[in-house]
Amino acid sequence: MQKTFRYFVLCLSSMMVPMALLAQFTVTGTVTGAGNNPLSGATIKVKNSNKGIVTSDQAGKFSLDVPGQKGVIDISFIGYKTQSVSVDVNSQSLALKLVEDISNLDEVVVTGLGTSVKRANLANAVASVSSKELVGTTTQSTVDGALYGKFTGANISANSGAPGGGISVKLRGVTSIAGNSQPLFIVDGVYYDNSSINAGLNAVSKAAGQGSTTFQDNPSNRIADLDAEDIDRVEILKGASAAAIYGSRAAGGVVIITTKKGRNGKPKIELSHSIGQQMQLRKLGGRSWDAAKVQAAYGSAGTSIYNAAGGKVYDYEKELYGQKGLMNNTRLSISGGNDKTTFYAGFTRKDDEAIVKNTGYTKTAFRINLDQKVFSFLDLSLNYNYVESKADRGYFNNDNTSTTLGVSFVSTPWWANLYPDANGNYPNNPLAPSNFLQTRDLITNREKVNRTLLGSTATFKILNTGKHDLKIIARGGIDNYTLNTIAIFPKELQFEKDGNGTNGLSAYGTTITRNSNISAIAVYNFSPNEKINFRTQAGLTAENIDQNNVLTTASQLIGTQTNVNQAGAVQAEQARTIQKDRGFFVQEEVNYNDIFIATAGLRGDRSSRNGDASKLYYFPKASLAVNVNRFSFWNWKQVSQLKLRVAYGESGNFAQFGAIYTPLVPAIFNGTTGSLIGINQGNDKLEPERQKELEFGIDFGILKNRITFEGTYYIKKADNLILLVQSPTSSGFSNAWKNVAAIRNKGIELGLNAMIVDSKNWKWNIQTRFWKNKAEVTRLDVPAFNTGAFGATLGTYRIQKGKSPTQVVGIAGANDPKDPESGLGIFGDAEPDFQLSFTNNVTWKNFELSVLSHWKKGGRNINLSTLLSDIFGTSPDFDKTNLDPSGQLSNGSFRLAALGTTAKPWVEDASYFRIREIGLSYKLPANLIKGISQIKVGFSGRNLFNHFTYSSYDPEVSNFGANAISSNVEVTPFPSSKSIHFNVSVSF
Amino acid sequence: MKQSYKISTFMLLPLLITTVMYVCTSCKVDPIRDPNNPSPGSITQNATLGEIQNLVDGTESGMRDNMGFYFDDVGVIGREFYRYSTSDPRFTSDLLGKSTSVLDNNTFYITNPFGARYRAVKNTNILIPALQNTKASITEDQRKAGIAYAQTIKAYQLLLVFNLEYENGVRVDVADPDNLGPFLSKDESLNAIQGLLNTANADLKNNPANFPFNSSVFGNAASEFSKFNRALAARVAVYRKDWALANSALSESFFDLNGDLNTGAYHLFSTAGGDQLNPQYFPLNVSGEARVAQPGFIADAEAGDTRTGAKTSRRLDTAFQDGLKSAYDFYVYKTNVAPIPIIRNEELILLYAEVQAQLTNTANATAAINVIRSAASLGNYSGATDLGNLITEILKQRRYSLYGEGHRWIDMRRYNKLSELPIDRTGDDVWVQFPRPANE
Repeated sequence: MQKTFRYFVLCLSSMMVPMALLAQFTVTGTVTGAGNNPLSGATIKVKNSNKGIVTSDQAGKFSLDVPGQKGVIDISFIGYKTQSVSVDVNSQSLALKLVEDISNLDEVVVTGLGTSVKRANLANAVASVSSKELVGTTTQSTVDGALYGKFTGANISANSGAPGGGISVKLRGVTSIAGNSQPLFIVDGVYYDNSSINAGLNAVSKAAGQGSTTFQDNPSNRIADLDAEDIDRVEILKGASAAAIYGSRAAGGVVIITTKKGRNGKPKIELSHSIGQQMQLRKLGGRSWDAAKVQAAYGSAGTSIYNAAGGKVYDYEKELYGQKGLMNNTRLSISGGNDKTTFYAGFTRKDDEAIVKNTGYTKTAFRINLDQKVFSFLDLSLNYNYVESKADRGYFNNDNTSTTLGVSFVSTPWWANLYPDANGNYPNNPLAPSNFLQTRDLITNREKVNRTLLGSTATFKILNTGKHDLKIIARGGIDNYTLNTIAIFPKELQFEKDGNGTNGLSAYGTTITRNSNISAIAVYNFSPNEKINFRTQAGLTAENIDQNNVLTTASQLIGTQTNVNQAGAVQAEQARTIQKDRGFFVQEEVNYNDIFIATAGLRGDRSSRNGDASKLYYFPKASLAVNVNRFSFWNWKQVSQLKLRVAYGESGNFAQFGAIYTPLVPAIFNGTTGSLIGINQGNDKLEPERQKELEFGIDFGILKNRITFEGTYYIKKADNLILLVQSPTSSGFSNAWKNVAAIRNKGIELGLNAMIVDSKNWKWNIQTRFWKNKAEVTRLDVPAFNTGAFGATLGTYRIQKGKSPTQVVGIAGANDPKDPESGLGIFGDAEPDFQLSFTNNVTWKNFELSVLSHWKKGGRNINLSTLLSDIFGTSPDFDKTNLDPSGQLSNGSFRLAALGTTAKPWVEDASYFRIREIGLSYKLPANLIKGISQIKVGFSGRNLFNHFTYSSYDPEVSNFGANAISSNVEVTPFPSSKSIHFNVSVSF
Repeated sequence: MKQSYKISTFMLLPLLITTVMYVCTSCKVDPIRDPNNPSPGSITQNATLGEIQNLVDGTESGMRDNMGFYFDDVGVIGREFYRYSTSDPRFTSDLLGKSTSVLDNNTFYITNPFGARYRAVKNTNILIPALQNTKASITEDQRKAGIAYAQTIKAYQLLLVFNLEYENGVRVDVADPDNLGPFLSKDESLNAIQGLLNTANADLKNNPANFPFNSSVFGNAASEFSKFNRALAARVAVYRKDWALANSALSESFFDLNGDLNTGAYHLFSTAGGDQLNPQYFPLNVSGEARVAQPGFIADAEAGDTRTGAKTSRRLDTAFQDGLKSAYDFYVYKTNVAPIPIIRNEELILLYAEVQAQLTNTANATAAINVIRSAASLGNYSGATDLGNLITEILKQRRYSLYGEGHRWIDMRRYNKLSELPIDRTGDDVWVQFPRPANE
C-alpha cells in the first residue's frame, strides 16, 4: 500500500525519477535477415517492457541490459516476424536470424491517437498499405488514387482525367447525403485539409443555375499535395468501430498516413527518376458523315459548310486528346542517423504534361523528418513538409453556355474547320457557340498551391519499470496553405466577344487555409505479469480550422489585360469557414497473453459546428479479439492462426458549414445594400450526424501463415443525417436544415493472401480482395426526393426510404420496371455489386514483377456525354443499329427518340476490369559500381489494360466531384489517361 | 505485492480519466458567429442604426421579389393581358384554366410570390424587435414610428398574399418559424390586416418624429407615412365593405381629388449591379417571352379614352401563342427601371368614388368619376346614378386607370362579377383564388 501511495503521488506530480536499479545483466548479439544480411535498426527489448529499448547498428549488433537474472527479449524489425528469445546471464553473442513476415501479422498498426496494436491482436479490419504497395509498382500521381484496389471496403473514383487529382473516396458505402462523405486524412498526427475549391468557372459555364444548383468546376482535392513517395505506410480506418476515437469528424473513415523516418546507420541516399508518357485511355473515334446525315443533323446551313469542306475531315479526338504527355518524376531522399538522432529528407520534382495541350501538373515537394532522443525521458519528433504545385486543368464538364472544351467537342462535327489561319486568328465555330481549339489554346484554368505542414511530437517517458510504464505524448500540427485559382477567358474567344459573353473574364481566387491541432495523451502500461497487460490512455485534443476564400471575378476586360482591376465590371465574393473543436478521450485495453484483447473507449467532443457549441457529444467504442490458436488446448498445428473479433463504435459528422446559422443576405436596393433574411433557416438545434458500426470478423492462417485469410462483416448505420428540408414559406424561409434521415450499410470484406512459391530464387505472392456493400435509406422524415443529377428526364438519384441512397431512377417507358409509389423507372444503382482485386508479386532472382488488377462489377453511371453527342449528331456509334430491338432506328436516333419518354438510354453499366498497375523491375547485382549499393531499373504502367462496355472514355468519372450521392454522373469530362514509365533508382 | 500493483492501476485509471474530463470541461468552445453574414439573432438583440437601415433597405428590396409573378397572376386571371412564354407554357394554360388545366399548389406562380411576401414579412419581424431592443440613441417617438413603419409594410405584404389566396386566407402570426400561427378565414384575414394598419397608424399619426432610418416608400416623417398607411387602410376597408372607415381613412390619407393622379408610393428599380429591373417591362414587339393586351381592353374602351394608347402599343405583327391572339403589347412601363405603384392617388380617387357611391353621396361619387374621366380625355359621366350603375362605371374606370397594376381580378371578385370576365378559348376558366401552397 505504501508503494501504491508513492506511485500515486509520483504520478500526480508528474515528476518521475527512475526507480532504483535492480540487479541486471547485459545481452549482446547480432541480428540478421534475408540472405544472412545484417539488419540495422532492428528493435530489441525486454518482453512486456518498454524500458531500455535498443536498436541494432549497421553490422546488426546490439547490446541490451536485462533486469534480474533471466528474461525474455523480443527482436522486431519491419517486414519480419517478431522473435522472442529466452536469455540469462550466460547469453552472449546471440545469433538472431529473423524470418520474413509474409502474413504481416506482426506489423504494428497505428489505430489510435497515442498507440498502435500488433496486427495479430487487432479487433478491427484495419487496412494497411505499405510504401512498397503504394508506390513500389508504378509512379503515382496522387495518394488517394494510389490506394484504389489495394484494400477492401473502398469505392474510390477519379472525377476525371484532369491533371492534379480530383478523387472521391467512399469507405464502406455512403455515410452522408448532404454532408461530407470523404474520409479524414491525418498525416503524422496533423489533420490534413482535403478541400475542393471551385475556381469560379461557373461565371462562364453557368453549369450551376439551371437544372442543377451544384457547382461543376471539377476542382482537385487538396490531398493531392501530399507526395506519395514520402509515405511509409497508410492505415485506413473504414468505419466508426475503428475510428470512434477520432470522434466527431470520423464518420467518413480515417486515413492515417505515416511518413518515412531515418534509421540508425550511415546515411542512405536514394536517387531515382522516372520518365513516362500518358495517353488517352480509350479513344472513341468519330462519326463518319455523308451529305444525307449532315442534312439531317445540321440542315442546309450544315450542308453548305460540309460541301465547302470538300470531304475534308479532321480527327479532332486526336487533336484535342491526342497529346502524348511527357511525365517526369525526379526523387532524392537521404536518411540516416545515430542512436540519438535520425533523419529523413525527401525531395520530389514532378512535371507531367497531360493529354490535352496546355494542361499538366507540376509539383515540388520537400520533406524533413527528424527524430531526436533529447533526454533519456524525452523523445522529440519533427516533421516538416513544403509543397508547391501547379495544375493546369483545362475547361471541361457540364455547362449551360456550350463553352467547355468537352461540350464544344461533342457539339462539333469533324468536317467543321476550327484551325487558326496563318496569322493565328481562329475562325468562329460555324455550328456551335465555341471553338474548342481556340478555347484550349487561349484560356487558363490553373490551381497553384503553396503548402506548409509542420508536425511535432514530444514523448515524455515519465515512469518506466518493468511493470509500469507511463508516458505522455504531446503533439501539435499546423497545416497552412494558400491556393490561388486563376481562370482567364480572354475577350477574343468566340463565346466572349460580339455580345456572346462578357468581353473576357478573369476570375482570381485566393484561399488561405490555416488549420492546427494539438493533443496531449497519457498512456499508462501496466503488466503485473507476463500474461496480462493493461493499457490505459487518456487525452485531450483541440483542432482549429480557419479557411478564407476570396474570389474576384472581373469581366469586360481591357485589351489583353487580366488583372482584375483592368476590367469594366468586378464582382467579389468571400466565404470563410471557422471551426473550433475540443475533445477528450479515454481508452482501456486489456491483453491477456495475446489470447483475449479487449478494448473499451470513449471520446467526447465539443464543436462550434454544432448547434450547441458547449454540448459534449460522446462517441463510445468497444472491441474484443480472441486468438483461439493461442489457447493451450489448441493442437491443430496446420492452422497457425485463428482469430475471432468483434468491434463496435460510433463517430460523427458535421452539417455543411453554415447550417447552424440563419443568415441575413445582401440585397441591393436604390443605390445601397440592405439585409434581407436568407432563404435557408439555420438550425441551432442541429445534432451532428452519428454513425454506429458493428463489425465481426474471422482471421486465420495456415501452413505457418503462408496462407492467411481475413473475413469481415459489418453493419453501419449513419443516423441523424442532415438535409436541407423544404419549409412552409409563410415562415419566411424556403428551406430549413434538419436531422431527418438514416442510411444503413451492410457489407462483407474478404482478403486472401498466399505465398504460393517461396524458394531460393522464386517467390510468388498473391493477394486477393473481395468487397461488397449494400446501402439502404432506413429513415426519411421528409417525402422522397430526387437529387444529384439533372432531373428525372435524364436519370437522377432518388432518396427514398427502403431503397439504396444511390439508386438511379428516371422517367420510364411502358416496358421499364417502375416504382409503384413514384411511377419513376428504376434503372439500377451507382453502387457496385462487388469489387475484386488481385495483386500478383513474382520475384525471380533480381527480377520482380507486380501486377495489380481490379474488377468492379456493376454500378451504374448516368452518361450525359452520349446525350449531348446524340443531340449534335456526333456520337461515334450514331449510325450503328444494335440498340433498337426492331432494328429500325440507328443508335443515335433510337436514344433521341427515348428522350422525354424514358431515361434508360443514359443510364449505363459502369463495370470494368483493369490492370491498374504493372511493374517489372531488375536490381543490378550489388556493389557493381563502387560506392553504389544498389541500382534498380524497371518499366511500369498505369491502367494499361481496360475492359468495359461503358460507352464513354472511362466509367470512373464524376461531373459533380466528390459529392456524397452524385459521384457517378458524366458530362463531357477531361478524358482519363493511361501511362507507361521507365524508372531508375540508385542507392548509395 | 501483486495485489498492491493492481490497486495502483485501478487508482491511476480513474485519476487519469477524471483529470482529463476535468480539464476538458474547462476547455470550453465558445459559439462562433456566422463569419460570412450578419445574423438576425444579434441584430434583434442590439442593432446599430446602420444595421436597422440595412434591414429597412433589405425589406424594401425584398418587397419587389417575385412581384412580376404577382402582377402576372392577377393580370392574366383578370383578363387584362396575356403572358406569353416559350420556356413555360403554364402562364397560358394553368392561369387561364385551359381545357383541363387547373391551378397547381406547388408551382412557381403561387409558391414564388407567396414565399417572397412572407420573406419580406420575416424581415419586418426582425426589424420590429431590432427597433424595440436597440440601444442606439433614438427617441421613443422614433422607436414607435419605426415599428409602425414595419407593421404597415407587413400589413401590405399580407394583403398581397390575401389577394391571391382569398377564401384560403393567410397566416398572420408568423414570428416564430417553428411555431406558425393558423391560417385565418377570409374575413379574419382582412380584419387582421386592417387591425395591423390601424395599430401602426396610432403611432404614426400626430407623431412629430422622423423614422430612425431612411425609407424610399413614402418619406421619412412619421406623420407623412401615416398618409400612406391610411391609403392602404382605405383600400382594405373597401375590400371589407367598411365604408365609414374607408371614408375616414381616405380623409387622413394623401388622397387629393384635384391632385396629381400619380402621387403615391412606388417600388423602385435600377440598373445598378445586383439591383432589380422592373419585371413588368418587356421591349416592344418581342416574341417568345412577352406580355400582350387582352383584346377586350382595346375593344371595350370608350372612344377617345387616352388610357388605351398610353398603356398599350400596337404591335408590328400580331402576337399569337397557345391559341391566344393580340395586336397590342402591354406597355404600362416604358423602361426597365420604371417604378411600379404600391398605391397612388388615382386609385384613391376611385376608392373615394366607390365609398361615396356606397354611402349614397351620388354627387361626390360622380364628381370623382369625372375627375378620372377628364384625365383620360373623356366627357363627364352621363349614365344612371343608382348604385349598380355607378359601381359598374367605377369598375370600368378602375379597369382602365389601374390597368396592369393588380386590381381587375380582385375588383370583379369582390363584386361577384368574375363571370363577366371574357373567356378567350373554349374550356378556359376564371379562377376565384389560388390554392394554398403545398408546403404549407
